[in-house]
Amino acid sequence: MHHVLVDQWSHGATALHKRDPRAKILALLVFLIVLATTPANAAVTLTIDSALLLAGILIAGLPMTNLLLRAAAVLPFSLTFGLISWLAGEPLRAIGLVEKSYLSTVAVLLLVGTTPLPVLLGGLESLGAPRLLVLVAQFLYRYLFVISEQAQHFRLAAACRQGPPGKHRRSRFRAAAGALAVLFARSYYRAEGIHRAMMSRAFSGHFRLLSPLRFRAIDGLFAAAVAAFLILVRVQ
Amino acid sequence: MHIPDNFLSTPVWASLDAVSVPAVGLMVRRASRELEDTRIPLLGVMGAFVFAAQMINFPVGIGTSGHLVGGALLACTLGAAPAALVMTAIIAIQAFVFQDGGVLALGANVFNMAIAGVLAGYFPYQLWGASRHRKSAIFAGAFLSVVVSASLALGELLISGVKMPRPVILVSLALFMVSALIEGAITVSVVQAIEKLNPGMVQKPEASSGRALAVLSGAALLLGIAGFLLASSAPDGIQNLGIQLGLTSKTSFHAPLADYAAGAFDSAWLRRATAGLAGLLVVYGVCLAAGKMIARRRSA
Repeated sequence: MHHVLVDQWSHGATALHKRDPRAKILALLVFLIVLATTPANAAVTLTIDSALLLAGILIAGLPMTNLLLRAAAVLPFSLTFGLISWLAGEPLRAIGLVEKSYLSTVAVLLLVGTTPLPVLLGGLESLGAPRLLVLVAQFLYRYLFVISEQAQHFRLAAACRQGPPGKHRRSRFRAAAGALAVLFARSYYRAEGIHRAMMSRAFSGHFRLLSPLRFRAIDGLFAAAVAAFLILVRVQ
Repeated sequence: MHIPDNFLSTPVWASLDAVSVPAVGLMVRRASRELEDTRIPLLGVMGAFVFAAQMINFPVGIGTSGHLVGGALLACTLGAAPAALVMTAIIAIQAFVFQDGGVLALGANVFNMAIAGVLAGYFPYQLWGASRHRKSAIFAGAFLSVVVSASLALGELLISGVKMPRPVILVSLALFMVSALIEGAITVSVVQAIEKLNPGMVQKPEASSGRALAVLSGAALLLGIAGFLLASSAPDGIQNLGIQLGLTSKTSFHAPLADYAAGAFDSAWLRRATAGLAGLLVVYGVCLAAGKMIARRRSA
């Protein structure tokens, strides 16, 4: 399993990549809240908001088609509910659900596509997220791919050993439980090893970023400009 | 079920955010009091394990397979508060990295799955997990954690005014029950297999885990069951409740508000936003105070 694509995007060096994560988080929050309170029939506002997102993607130099396709991950869920709302006689709400949830997803992708996750989590911590929670999330993200790869090996091994699907359901169920238990135990021991290794390298209890976060004037300007623009478009 | 953004009406997601922030804070405080430092990497790696566990398929029926959700498994291996913490981290990573669930809806998803789901999953284990019927406690916990978080999510969608015809609701509730049964079976067999490898990895249910947690778990359970019953018997009732409480703005979707929204300066919007913000601050303050009180009572 390869590292998520978004992680590669996030290591660029454009103007958006360079903004302080806190400025980008605040801008995203303003965007999402304004979008959430925009009625689904406010076509002008929604168009301007989408244009802002597209401009952001262009400035950040992210692959447009790929990003828009990735954001489509939300569509199965929202289309289902959209269809149900439509059939229940609320076409406006149906359209609103689909387009607004899609726009929100694109906005979140724009944030994580321009901010490496450790930096993003660092920003969240300095905005007041509990240290322990951020620490757990950092470890989780770091080992996600390691443990997933292990799980994939298990799966491959099981597929090689077991015959065609459909037979021996009971024993297969128990085999899967056994595999998960082994995966659990290995993760457990791995965590102990990690802890010892970190202690021996004088881990002080929180992660340090390679370059400490600095909220410059331009970051404040960026957040304020985005927020002001969005609110003006919303209330005009 | 991770709710994406813009599915919940603003008052619903906002108040759930306001409830979840102090609740997670409380869980973090409890977890950091219980944990030795050695277990911090363990929590992160266990979160990664729950992610990876989704790749292992369990054959359950004709051609279908299920996978572990993990709330109850985490609760009986790590304890309730650390498990809630790990689930919160999982849900946050899913929202940001995998676009699974919204950012504004993070509070709702965290409340459904990490707070209510985990506490409901731990409740039976705490009640009779030490007795002879331990297996049934684990099963019941896993079953409840799925049912509670799914029906809370369904209730929140309904109260936000997402219209769902009655058959759709009944079918989804039936599906929740099936997946809850599967989760129960998977969790029991995995816990048994883990105990065969190393009994020390499964925590004994803490008898003195405190009344606060028991009350919270009971409340989570009640809330989930109430949501389940209401959604199955009177979905219209929930929607009407939402409209009466002002949680869904029926008008903004029905009446042509085009000229209203395009007015010179939409001061009504600003006024509503300010009022909403003030209400949220009150909810947040009450939750924070309650959390502090519980924490003080416990440490006293």
